[in-house]
Amino acid sequence: MLELLNAWFIAPFDYGFMRRAVVGGLALSLAAPPLGVFLVLRGMSLIGDALAHAIMPGVAIGFLLAGFSLPIMSIGGVLFGLLVALSAGVVSKMGGQREDAALASFFIISLAAGVLLISIGGSSVDLTHVLFGSILAVNSTALLLIAGISTLIVVTLAVVFRALVVECLDPLFLRGQNRRNGWVHSVFLALLVLNMTAGFQTLGTLMAVGLMMLPATAARFWSRRLEGLMAIAVVLAMTASTGGLLLSFHLDIPSGPSIILLAGVGYFFSALFGRYHSLAAKLRRKTTPLSAETSM
Amino acid sequence: MSLNDLPRLKLENLHLAQGRRTVLEHVDGDIKPGAITALIGANGAGKSTLIQAIMGELRPISGKVTCHVPAERRAWLPQQLALDLTFPMSVEELVMTGSWPSHGALKGYCAAHYRKGRDIMARLGISHLAHRPLGELSGGQRQRALIGRTLMQEAELLLLDEPFANVDSDTVDILIRILRQMADDGTTIIVVLHDMDHLQRLADEVLMLNGGHARWMAPSALHQQHMPAQVVPLTLGGRHAGTA
Repeated sequence: MLELLNAWFIAPFDYGFMRRAVVGGLALSLAAPPLGVFLVLRGMSLIGDALAHAIMPGVAIGFLLAGFSLPIMSIGGVLFGLLVALSAGVVSKMGGQREDAALASFFIISLAAGVLLISIGGSSVDLTHVLFGSILAVNSTALLLIAGISTLIVVTLAVVFRALVVECLDPLFLRGQNRRNGWVHSVFLALLVLNMTAGFQTLGTLMAVGLMMLPATAARFWSRRLEGLMAIAVVLAMTASTGGLLLSFHLDIPSGPSIILLAGVGYFFSALFGRYHSLAAKLRRKTTPLSAETSM
Repeated sequence: MSLNDLPRLKLENLHLAQGRRTVLEHVDGDIKPGAITALIGANGAGKSTLIQAIMGELRPISGKVTCHVPAERRAWLPQQLALDLTFPMSVEELVMTGSWPSHGALKGYCAAHYRKGRDIMARLGISHLAHRPLGELSGGQRQRALIGRTLMQEAELLLLDEPFANVDSDTVDILIRILRQMADDGTTIIVVLHDMDHLQRLADEVLMLNGGHARWMAPSALHQQHMPAQVVPLTLGGRHAGTA
């Protein structure tokens, strides 16, 4: 029994690449889900996807300039992501178009530009690498970068936490106070871009969103408190990233998809059996009508 | 005229437009501390536009709004529908958010803050709901919690948009009493109202918007003008104090 446990859970980490991968995954799992929780609460769940694509051209330009150098590609990604977020903000303020419409336009342009740029300068392997990542290829530099970005996100999130909460709940409350909510929103978008940049090396631009959104949406079935949502989302993300890595190691399947699919299993499980609003909760509720308080 | 009687809010020859359409012209007025001003008018008369201008959200075409209340002491309570009711937050947490504008982003709350929050909830009769999520509150309970937030904020300028819509009569009584206390403590209150009964019980002054113009009048004048004679209850809900 012990031997089996050792073979499944301990032995894989004898390999350096597995150790780096698990540390990178855990760092991301600490930073991404809280951002996802806020995205869900703000009704902006799809914005993460949009921003993930938005960093592609920057990553591609970095790739063309310096080859497969993660720091350069990341800087390019951050700069381009911020540029897109900023432009979308400007367009929505200018023309009365909602920000999500502007972002939707920008992200698809960015995706096309990114794919084109990488195809010009590299092979389809490079393209696959950027789109789908390869957590097993994380080296020490990449690991430092991921850990650094994750730390920055967690600390910044702590600083702007209250303002973010107020802005989610009731944007007008902050706007009454001299429109200070403008910066809150910008900082939040910047954190999202940073997170995408940290995620693309490990999970790829397309799937980095998964580690941010799936734990956050799943947590909604387990808690009705903000702190609870964040804690549960982080635990789910950590479980999924570590478990996904082990699965990919043992079953010899790609790591990114197995991490995200494991998070997806968590989501379906939560939707079926979670404490609140899940299928099971709805069935349970019928038997206890007294506690079924109406909200209006 | 002492310093306290100086108008907190001054509207001077305001011309307001939404896009190219003029909504209001030649709006003047001094709104004194401690006065409750009712803002009335048909739908589309420009009530929201005027509130936007007062909050600094909408730049006037000409004229100006002078507001001597610091930004962190201004509170704007929109109609309830504007709030996200699924947000995972308890009543106590909502009330405590009122202290954020002046308290800052990082400092923790001390015991005095929590005590103040509890006092406010007791005044509003929502102590027993302190840990209830917002999504499970009734319209009246939610409105009390929101007023609790503005009390926590120590608002000096309070704008309310139809605060009594979807609200039970006990809550109306309590809110009218609390708003009157706030006004007596010097808060300037502007409230959009539709119900003449509420207006008679609450307002010191009335600003009526009609056909692009604003007219100041006394509540009693409005009463004679628009309303059939009726008995307006003058007891301000003392009966229901502290109950929910």
